Amino acid sequence: MKHFFLASILASAIALPAAAADYSIMAPAAPGGGWDQTARTMQTALQTEKISSKVQVMNVPGAGGTIGIAQFASQQKGNPNQLMVGGYVMVGAILTNKSPVTLKDVTPIARLTGEYEVIVVPAASEIKTVADLVAKLKANPGSVSWGGGSAGGTDHILVGLLAKAGGVDPTKINYIAFSGGGEALAAILGGQVTAGVSSYGEFEGQIKAGTLRVLAISSDKKVEGISAPTLKESGYDVVLQNWRMVAAAPGLSAEQKAAVTADVEKLAKSKTWQDNLKTKGWIDTYLSGPEFEAQLAKDIASTETILKDIGLVK
Amino acid sequence: MSVDNNKTVTEQRRPDWAALVIAAVLVIMAAVIFFDVSRLRDMGGYSQVGPATVPDWIAFALVGLAVWTVFAAFRRDFPEREKQEIKPVAWVVAGLIAQMVLIRFAGFSIATGCLFGLAAAGFGARRIWISIPIGIVICFAIYWLFAVMLQLSLPAGPLERLIH
Amino acid sequence: MSTFDFLLQGLASAMMPMNLLYALIGVTLGTLVGVLPGIGPATTVALLLPVTYQLDATGSLIMFAGIYYGGMYGGSTTSILLNTPGESASIVTALEGNKMARAGRGGPALATAAIGSFVAGLIATLALAFVAPLVVKIALSFGPRENFALMVLAFITVSSAFGNSALRGLTSLFIGLALSLVGIDQLTGQNRLSFGVPDLLDGIEVTTMAVAMFAIGETLFIAAQGAQAPDKIEAIKGSVWMTANDWSRSWKAWLRGTVIGFPIGAMPAGGAEIGTFLSYATEKKLTKHPEEFGNGAIEGVAGPEAANNASAAGTLVPLLTLGLPTSATAAIMLAGFQQYGLQPGPLLFATNPQLVWGLIASLLIANLMLLILNLPLVGLWVKLLTIPKPWLYAGILVFATLGTIGANPSVFELGMLLVFGLVAYVMRVMDFPIAPVIVGLILGPLAEQHLRRALAISQGDITTLFQSPIAAVLLALAAIALILPLILRLRGRGNVLTQMAASED
Repeated sequence: MKHFFLASILASAIALPAAAADYSIMAPAAPGGGWDQTARTMQTALQTEKISSKVQVMNVPGAGGTIGIAQFASQQKGNPNQLMVGGYVMVGAILTNKSPVTLKDVTPIARLTGEYEVIVVPAASEIKTVADLVAKLKANPGSVSWGGGSAGGTDHILVGLLAKAGGVDPTKINYIAFSGGGEALAAILGGQVTAGVSSYGEFEGQIKAGTLRVLAISSDKKVEGISAPTLKESGYDVVLQNWRMVAAAPGLSAEQKAAVTADVEKLAKSKTWQDNLKTKGWIDTYLSGPEFEAQLAKDIASTETILKDIGLVK
Repeated sequence: MSVDNNKTVTEQRRPDWAALVIAAVLVIMAAVIFFDVSRLRDMGGYSQVGPATVPDWIAFALVGLAVWTVFAAFRRDFPEREKQEIKPVAWVVAGLIAQMVLIRFAGFSIATGCLFGLAAAGFGARRIWISIPIGIVICFAIYWLFAVMLQLSLPAGPLERLIH
Repeated sequence: MSTFDFLLQGLASAMMPMNLLYALIGVTLGTLVGVLPGIGPATTVALLLPVTYQLDATGSLIMFAGIYYGGMYGGSTTSILLNTPGESASIVTALEGNKMARAGRGGPALATAAIGSFVAGLIATLALAFVAPLVVKIALSFGPRENFALMVLAFITVSSAFGNSALRGLTSLFIGLALSLVGIDQLTGQNRLSFGVPDLLDGIEVTTMAVAMFAIGETLFIAAQGAQAPDKIEAIKGSVWMTANDWSRSWKAWLRGTVIGFPIGAMPAGGAEIGTFLSYATEKKLTKHPEEFGNGAIEGVAGPEAANNASAAGTLVPLLTLGLPTSATAAIMLAGFQQYGLQPGPLLFATNPQLVWGLIASLLIANLMLLILNLPLVGLWVKLLTIPKPWLYAGILVFATLGTIGANPSVFELGMLLVFGLVAYVMRVMDFPIAPVIVGLILGPLAEQHLRRALAISQGDITTLFQSPIAAVLLALAAIALILPLILRLRGRGNVLTQMAASED
C-alpha cells in the first residue's frame, strides 16, 4: 500500500519521459555547478522546444573537466547522440593538469554563453582605478594580494594578463586561490585581500549595494548597466571571457557534425533557451562554425602563453 | 595492505607482527609522500609554506608514529584480536569485484545483482543461483525508481535498455 | 511591516493545503534520494530541482525546502540504522547512532535526531530572522588566519575525543591527513600524490571514503566474524519511543548543538561537519555517562544532529544578507533563487521581503512536515534491522555502491570503495578508530589552505597568525585544550581522563 502511494506521488510529480533516446549530455562537473546547470538548461530547452524527444544529463566530475573529457573522447567516438558541455576553465585545466586528452580530441560545436570578469576592491579601499592598482603592484608586487578562484583558473589568468600588460613580472603576483566564489567574496568584503577577481555575476549583488567598487571589466566593449570601464579603456590590452561551450564526440562525419550543429543552433535561438539565459543572468555569446574554431584556437594559444608566464605550466 | 590476523600467540615476549607490518606501511606512506612532493619544494611563493611543506610535516609525523608503533608492538600494547574468518570476507570482496568488472557492459542491475547475491553468500545464504536473480530483480526495480523516475544517472546495460 | 509580520505572513501562505501537499511531496522525494550514501542534501536538491520548475514560486520554494530537509534527514536515518554515513555531516551521527540501533535503541536514536533537527532548525531559523546582520559581521571578520586558528582548535578538541589509545587515534588521524594530500593543490594548481591517475586529481572524495570506511569496512568486519555473530539484531529493546531519561539527556545536547552549529554554518569557510565534530567532542566532555560514549550515547546523536541542522540554517545568513554561497547546499539554494530571477545579496531583504520570509517559513514548515512524516515511521524504519543478516548486509552493499555510482559512475571510484573498505577492515581488526581518518581528510586541506593563504597575505610573516585578536584567542583556547589534560594527568587525575576518553570508534 505504501509503495503504491509513493509511486503515485512520484508519477504525479514527474511526467514519464518519452521512449526514444535522442541526446545524452555529459556535464564534466558535479551537479549544481555552472556546467551542470548549462547541461540541465539545455536538457529543458531541447525537450520543451521538441528539438529532441529525450535528453539525459550525466555528471562526470573532476579536475576542471579533464576527467570528463578523457572519458568522453575515449568512450563516445563516432556517436552522434552524445554532447559534452565545457568551457574556458577546461582550457586552463587541460594545460595545468597535463591532460593527455585535449579539446582537439573532441568536436567543438559552438560557444553558448559567456561571462566577463571584473576586478573589484572593497568600497572603503583607497584604490580608485586600475591604474592605482597597477601602480601599487609595480611598487611592490607582493603587497597586492588578489583573491579569486582556483589556481590556474580564469581569475588567476586575468591577473597574470593584467600584470603582464602593466609591465609587472607575472610570476611575482601574490594570487590567493579560494575554493569558491563565495569564499573569495568573503575575503574581499572582510578586507583580507587587496583586490578581488571573479565573474561579474558573483559580485553583482555587492556592486549594486555599493559595498564593492568595480575597477574594470574584461569585456571588449563597455557592458550595459555596468559603470566601470573596460580594461582596454583603462589602457591595458586585456580581453577575457569565461565562456561555456558544447562539443560533440570525436570521429563524426561531416553530415553528422552538421546535424548536431543545426540542432544546437535551433537550441540557442529558441525562446526557452533565451528565457533561461535571462533568468540565470547568462550572456548570450553564441558562436559556431569556423569562427568559433578560430576563436578557440586563439584562446588556447594565449592561455598557454600566460600560464607559462605565471609559472604554472613548464 | 594485507595483514595476517590469524594468530593469537599467548607468549608475552614475541612482538606483534601485524603491528610491525602497520609500522612498515606508515614508513612507506611517509617515504612516498616525501619523494612525491620533492619536486614542489621551491614553490613557496610569498607564503614560505609551499605545497611541499605540510606534506613534509605529515611524512615526518608518520615516521614518528611508526617508531611509536614498533615500541607498542614489542610491548604488545595492541588489544587481543578475535579470530577472523577469511572465507566470508572473500565472498563479499568477490561480489564487489564482480560489480566493478560487470558494470561497464552489463549495466547497473546485473552488476549490482551479482554483488547482492555474492555478498549474501558471504553471510550464509549460499544458494547463489537463487539470490543472484533476486538481486537482479531488486536492482532493476531500484534502477527504475532512481534512474527513470528520479533522473539519477546510472549505467545502463542490456536489461536497462529494455525500459528506455 | 516588521520582520515578525513578514514571517507570519510567510507561514500563513505556506500552511495552505496545496502548499502542504508540495511540502509532503518534497520531503518524500528528498528522503528517497537522500538515503543513498554518497548523495548528500546538496546533490539531492540539484538532482530534483527540475521537478520544482513546474510549480509557481511559492509552491516550488516549499517543495525545494522539503527536498532539502528530506535529503538531510534521509542521510541521518541510514547512518543510524545501517552505519552508512554518505556525507560528511552525518558521520558523527553514525558513530553513536548505529551503536544505539544495534543495542535495540534505534527508535530513540531516530527520534532524537528528528526532534533535535526540528528544535535546532526552529531556533536557528529564528536566529536567522533576528540576528543575521550581527552574525554576518562576525563571520566576515574570519579571514584565513582566524579560520586556521579555528581548525587548530577543532583538531585538538576533536582528536582528544577519539579512541582509547593515543597512538592508534593519532595514527588514524595522520592516515587521514596523508590521504587528504592527494590531488591538485588548491593554491598552486600542482598535483600531489596523484601518480598520473586522472581520477585522483580532485583528491579522494570524502563521501566515497566515508562509505568505504563505514559501510564496506563494517560489512567485511561482520562477515569475518562468521557464524559467531548473532544471526539477527534485536531491533527493539525497551520502548521504541524516547523515555523520560532520553528526553532529559537530549534537550541540553540539542541546545548546545544549535549554539555550536549556527555560527559555524554562518562562517564563509565553516562547513556543517566541523560543527558536528565540535558538538560531539563537547557532549563527550560534558556527559554524565562517559562509559556510554562509543557504545551508543544518546547525546552523541542529539548534539551533532542539532548542530548539523543549525549550521544549515547558519549558511543562509551569508547567503541571504550578502549573496555569499558558503557551502554546496547554499550554492544550490542560490540556483533555486535565480530560478525566480532573484539575486540574493545585500538588497534581497529590502527588495523582496515576501520571498525571503516565504523561504524561511517554508523551511520551518518542511522541517515540521518531516517530523510529522517520520516520527510515526520510526517503528517501521527500525524493522529494517530485523531483516536476516545475508539480505540486510547484501542490501547495505547495494545501497552503498548505488550512491557512489549515482554520484560518479566510475569503475575507479568502485575500486576505491573496495580498497578503503579493506583498509577499514584491517583497522577495525587492529582496533584503530575509523572516524579520525575522515576528520583528517576533511580538516587537513582546510587547515593547510588557510595557513598558506594567511602567510601569503602577510608575505611570509608568521606573527600574523597571532596579531588578530580572534585568532589569538582561538589559538590560546587550543593551547589550553592541549596542555590542561597533561597537567591534570601529572597531578594524578589521569584515571578520570582515561575514562572520559574511553572506547569508541
